[in-house]
Amino acid sequence: MDRRTLLKGLTGVGSLAATGGLSMPALAQGAAARTLRFVPQANLANFDPIWGTQYVVRNAAALVWDTLYGIDATLQPQRQMVEAEEVSDDGLIWTFRLRPGLKFHDGEPVRSKDVVASLTRWSARDPMGLMIKAIQNELTAVDDRTFRWTLKQPYPKLLLALGKNNSPCAFIMPERIAQTDPFKQITEYVGSGPMKFAKAEWVPGAKAVFEKFTDYVPRQEKASWLAGGKQMLVDRIEWVVIPDPATAAAALQNGEVDWWESPIPDLAPVLKKNANINVDIADPLGNIGSFRMNHLHPPFNDVRARRAVLMAMNQEDYMRALVGDDNSLWKPLPGFFTPDTPLYTEEGGEILKGKRDLAAAKKLLAESGYSGQPVTCLVAQDQPITKAMGDVTADLLKQLGMNVDFVATDWGTVGARRAQKTPPGQGGWQMFHTWHAGADCISPAPYTAIRANGDKAWFGWPSSPAAEKEVSAWFDAKNLDEEKAAVRRLSKAAFEDVIYAPTGFFLSYTAWRKSISGVVKGPLPFFWGVSKTA
Amino acid sequence: MLAYILRRIVATVPVMAIVALFVFSLLYIAPGDPAAVIAGDQASPTDVERIRQSLGLDQPFLVQFGTWLWHILHGDLGTSIFTSLPVASLIAQRIEPTLSLMAITLILTLLVAVPLGVVAAWKAGSWVDRTIMAFAVFAFSLPVFVVGYVLAYVFALQFEWLPVQGYTPLAEGLWPWLKNLILPSLALGCVYIALIARITRASMLEVLQQDYVRTARAKGLGQGNILFVHALKNAAVPIVTVIGIGIALLIGGAVVTESVFAIPGLGRLTVDAILRRDYPVIQGIVLLFSFLYVLVNLMVDVTYTLVDPRIRY
Repeated sequence: MDRRTLLKGLTGVGSLAATGGLSMPALAQGAAARTLRFVPQANLANFDPIWGTQYVVRNAAALVWDTLYGIDATLQPQRQMVEAEEVSDDGLIWTFRLRPGLKFHDGEPVRSKDVVASLTRWSARDPMGLMIKAIQNELTAVDDRTFRWTLKQPYPKLLLALGKNNSPCAFIMPERIAQTDPFKQITEYVGSGPMKFAKAEWVPGAKAVFEKFTDYVPRQEKASWLAGGKQMLVDRIEWVVIPDPATAAAALQNGEVDWWESPIPDLAPVLKKNANINVDIADPLGNIGSFRMNHLHPPFNDVRARRAVLMAMNQEDYMRALVGDDNSLWKPLPGFFTPDTPLYTEEGGEILKGKRDLAAAKKLLAESGYSGQPVTCLVAQDQPITKAMGDVTADLLKQLGMNVDFVATDWGTVGARRAQKTPPGQGGWQMFHTWHAGADCISPAPYTAIRANGDKAWFGWPSSPAAEKEVSAWFDAKNLDEEKAAVRRLSKAAFEDVIYAPTGFFLSYTAWRKSISGVVKGPLPFFWGVSKTA
Repeated sequence: MLAYILRRIVATVPVMAIVALFVFSLLYIAPGDPAAVIAGDQASPTDVERIRQSLGLDQPFLVQFGTWLWHILHGDLGTSIFTSLPVASLIAQRIEPTLSLMAITLILTLLVAVPLGVVAAWKAGSWVDRTIMAFAVFAFSLPVFVVGYVLAYVFALQFEWLPVQGYTPLAEGLWPWLKNLILPSLALGCVYIALIARITRASMLEVLQQDYVRTARAKGLGQGNILFVHALKNAAVPIVTVIGIGIALLIGGAVVTESVFAIPGLGRLTVDAILRRDYPVIQGIVLLFSFLYVLVNLMVDVTYTLVDPRIRY
């Protein structure tokens, strides 16, 4: 019996016991109903959403800092802090006006100069921000509530950049904080969002507390993801970091916590059996698994070797290794973009469809000149997703006749080693696994992994002028039809040059006690509209 | 004695210096890069490099070590790369749960293991002895996390007597504090109880065969008096030694126990810091634990003189 099986068994029996009713936490009823206890996906180790771009930081930051625009459930940016905007006919001058009555948690009003400083810091770190910065003439505060962005050339995706949910988001901070070097961490956490950060109660790695900001003025529209009225129905949110999944499951069953952001698939059946707990898909945009190859060194510097991997790869093997027998948690992905979103396309993805042809893949690999040299696979063992995919890959490459150098290590080491461009024998690598949040793969804007601009590209450094041309075409597109056409061509080029190999599309669960209502599906946990009964 | 204690305390300085150099060198050559972890999965290599530079991680080894050592000598353990909080503050936040866990475990262990070992030696060869030793082997073989899960299932999920996770500071009351520590201490104490019980038995068996024990019996002393006053005191030196060595076991066990029971202690801080390559935090904790260990060894040596007057320093 392995550890996971044991945990599953133990929590399973616990779940049955729990259905009979459980003791309530030792809080007064009123206080209990006003405090939401949430188990986040990871530890909130730092709290600067521009400096540290981890999703857990973004999720916490969305409570404390507001954005000018917010993406809604239809993936469209909607006004949030902005009351109105105006763009010149040539698309070069954008003028924005802030909503009246916006305040920071220290009581100071939100002014245009705060916005200018915040956007300046953000644009030094964000890929879209960097693009805007490169074509920026000036960004100035016209008056306390008006600011103007003047560009050298039109940037039709400006509102998307300001409202996107991909990290780093364009959060607005007070000027004195936003003037911090974007590569240094802020130490003061004052925002204008619906919750204040209780710094005194912060125990990094264990607990983070957020308290309702009574001066927050929500929009009148219905809340939809990061857009609309962010009505807080609880006074206090406690993030309780529980690193062990079995303990988190037991705490949820025992009523010690109210909402667990990401239960592992192994424990979902147990939680589903508990009458006091709801389990549902957390984010319909899901995740895309990635088999990332190094385009600089043999054998994957030859497109035939990369295509051989695609020809032999069976995405079902990868997805089953990740989510087990739960068919609702995965689907094949013969494409690079998030399924069920406007730009999704399977153009060029035929190579991933149908019966796998190992013989043809071997032949193609031989034609690439591969002659048995070691293939260094970096596999992080402390991340269940990369570990599972790495095991499948080791088997796949061996079946292809490759000499696999399986480097079992941790995510921190993969993070450092994948940046090495040196040959594999000198500290470099040939492949590693990762995954991309579906929200990051809805368009080329936030999708760093699809870029193929050689040295400037993401790890693996693919070079594909054809793909890059279509990324530019998407940015210049005037309407959705043009965007779709550009992305179809981009997908085709990405498959032809094998920028990376998608291993499939997978979803994850979230679980909450039935005393909680208002939980919505989305790329991050949205706390507005969530209420709790004692 | 006082001179000896002072000499030993002074001797900890070079020990700590060697530990400091060793820890720093080990972390320097270990693979991994905190800048890559900070930058996140979507960051570009340029971003990662900028962060490395801002953290001073691009500096040569000697420069980094010199800076760190200089701060240590000034009582500054540095600042966490990730939280931007002083390492001393992070340790202060986390030390109470860990010390509480270790103290309760130690008390529990001594209360259970020593009597068990004494009784097993007294009833050597009987079913009582065999039962106690079977328990000891069993407890010694069980991984801490398995014991933890079983205890949580029985006492938290089944009986609903105790919480599954968390920690309540002692300042908020004795029972709330104790309530959160009972299960983790039992889980952590299992191995320790088994170890001490076995050592106590072995040591007592040797002492119980001594002439003076036979004399004590002949004088008509009660069994309890013989076992716990005369024999145990003479058997105590190896037991005290193992208790001291076992502190290292407790420190290692606390890492797992704190993770299983979500106790915000130094063990979890260590794991988090290692996974993120938060070098200043790792260095600070290792130095602290090294100092504690040196201190415990000193206390063990001093305790020898209390249990055996023949030992002099």
